[in-house]
Amino acid sequence: MGIKVTRRQLLRAAGAAGLGAAAGQMRVPSVSAQTPVRIAFWHAMGGNLGETVIRAFVNAFNASRKDIQVTAQFQGSYDDLVNKLRASIGSSSVPAVSQVYDIGTRFMIDSKAVVPVQNFIDREKFDLAQFEPNILAYYRVGGRLYSMPFNTSTAILYYNKDMFKQAGLDPNRPPRTFDEIEASATKLVRSGATRSGITIAIYGWFFEQLLARQGALYANNGNGRDAAATAVAYDHEEEGARILEWWARMVKSGAATNPGRPTAASQRAFAAGQTAMTMDSTAVLKSLLTQSGGRFQIGTGYFPKPPAAATGGSIVGGASAWILSGRPSVEQQAAWEFVKFVSAPAQQAAWYVGTGYFPVRRDAYHEAVAQQTLAQYPQFLTAISELRSSPINRATQGALLGVFPEARQKSEDAIEATVLGRKTPQQALADAARDVNQAIAVYNRTMGAK
Amino acid sequence: MSGRTRAGLASARALVQALAYLAPSLLVFAVFVFYPLVRNAQLSLYDTTPFGDLSRFAGAGNYAELLRSGEFLGSLRVTVLFAVYTVPAGLVLGLPLALLANRRMRGIAAFRTAYSFTIAVSIAAAALIWEWMFDPNVGILNYLLSLAHGPRIGWLTDPHWALPAVAATTVWQSLGFNVVVLLAALQGVPDELVEAARIDGSGQWAVFRHVIVPAISPALFFVGVVATLGVLQSFGQIHILTQGGPVGATNAIVYSIYRNAFFNFRFGLAAAQAMVLFVLVLAFTTLQFAVFERWVSYG
Repeated sequence: MGIKVTRRQLLRAAGAAGLGAAAGQMRVPSVSAQTPVRIAFWHAMGGNLGETVIRAFVNAFNASRKDIQVTAQFQGSYDDLVNKLRASIGSSSVPAVSQVYDIGTRFMIDSKAVVPVQNFIDREKFDLAQFEPNILAYYRVGGRLYSMPFNTSTAILYYNKDMFKQAGLDPNRPPRTFDEIEASATKLVRSGATRSGITIAIYGWFFEQLLARQGALYANNGNGRDAAATAVAYDHEEEGARILEWWARMVKSGAATNPGRPTAASQRAFAAGQTAMTMDSTAVLKSLLTQSGGRFQIGTGYFPKPPAAATGGSIVGGASAWILSGRPSVEQQAAWEFVKFVSAPAQQAAWYVGTGYFPVRRDAYHEAVAQQTLAQYPQFLTAISELRSSPINRATQGALLGVFPEARQKSEDAIEATVLGRKTPQQALADAARDVNQAIAVYNRTMGAK
Repeated sequence: MSGRTRAGLASARALVQALAYLAPSLLVFAVFVFYPLVRNAQLSLYDTTPFGDLSRFAGAGNYAELLRSGEFLGSLRVTVLFAVYTVPAGLVLGLPLALLANRRMRGIAAFRTAYSFTIAVSIAAAALIWEWMFDPNVGILNYLLSLAHGPRIGWLTDPHWALPAVAATTVWQSLGFNVVVLLAALQGVPDELVEAARIDGSGQWAVFRHVIVPAISPALFFVGVVATLGVLQSFGQIHILTQGGPVGATNAIVYSIYRNAFFNFRFGLAAAQAMVLFVLVLAFTTLQFAVFERWVSYG
């Protein structure tokens, strides 16, 4: 059994959305209708579905307006995209609008090569009332919204309901704490329902999420939001070590499997019924449903936290759309029109059911495709409920770091060294912190960040 | 006197002529090799901004940081080990396949194609194929092991197995090229030479050892040098299979350069690493020419 919403329906939804938007949002003086303004949109949505849906958005947008023509250009992974963007800034090849992942936020601001979308929002009093406050809280820096959230996700727990039943666990009550996960995973393996209770890819994003779930900061100076961060914080707190201890203990006891770094491997194991639980982005929900082909029931649950933690929550992940200042102002204005279009309810709903990324705004859930999918697959609600139940504070807003890609990699080194029994959690985190702090110092010095 | 002048003129003319013929390739080398090399050397002496602009003169600072960092020394070790795992294996496996493919029999073209087809497989495609085979849960290697009641091995996640696993991928992918070169060399061995040895009463092994190997020694040497140069610059398979992990077990130097330059935005540091790699490759190649070329007979 495949998914009921087919790609064709999805594209139709995206197309209809384009026409609807055409009627609503036009008439901006600086974009005139004579020769169309041509702009490039860079994105990192690879894979068949991602690219197809993006192309459908662009086609719908272009069909809806005579004054602007957008070309979508796939640039590879998020990392590749930021690299190319970095090389293009200051040259004539810089695009008018680009998708950039969450952890590129600080770098994009420091690059001084962007126009905050707040400028456009203020100018035309664009209404953000329908946008999810937790999402805005991530992308607002110093009270200003720099980029428009586009594809947003959180990390959730996926579990195999059939295996839970087999092991005598309640298939409708996913484990929610570190202890419950460990107990369930152990029971799943002991009962013979599976060889692997949980498979967790060594992905630094999970570490960041697990810190935030405990209300702990990743970096100093209020997660780099009160002033530029000068050091990471996880080496001084007990929360970081607690994550690594739990993780390594489960791998050591055989309750958990270490699939290495690529999440593709843990997804494969889960979809093939080789592991009872996995942690991953909500963005892979659609893909897991398709890959597993209905051979077993997939349950979804909140990302775990230690039993005692109370003030924490999830950080929004994913990416946002940035408008670059290197293009003439008519192109910037055209980029803004496109940004508004992709964040409109119809596009967000089409994107949601096609991937699992949840909409950036609430009214997208009223769209017919969203309603239809939610009726059939309630799993699509888990991530957004998780986010909405998260308090907004410095921990759940997520850290801003100019060297975040490197920092994430260093935390992966720390997880790996602990899981493989090479270092104690404290030692691994101290080593990671030393390297990252040095990188932060070089970044702050050469970028003049304060 | 005038004769010498004429000779001098002639040789000057020859030089000009030679330069004219060489000009296109010199130009290409200058633009794509020499100029970047000089700029890279300069870059390695500076701190850089994340945009790659020179920020401040650091002297030997980047080099000092490299020597202090355990990560860099580890990547040197991994690089050398990687070459040791792959280059001899590529020759030892490639030569028998080339010998088999050199037989004259019906349908040999099919075998020749089979033995050399990996030349048409990009390293990225090879890595993706092997990634599936290495998968601890759904991969065929662990499935075969389970049939033999062997342990489940985390091929890419166990620090002891990761480098051999990446090396196996590399050897498999490079076999096609090795077979093609060696087969071409084998076909160039004159039949009279082999027949003469047989008539003199040499056995199979003696013919192989004393006739065939010397005759194809230039090709063996060529494959060895090219494979070493290639392996010291390996990137794609590491990027796809392990991203340098686990715990740095596959963090070969080119991958480490990539991470520093295009991920960590530390261009100065990456440039210094590149200079070290340059010296390393130069040393390896010089060593090969100095030690192994003695056994090569170009006759």
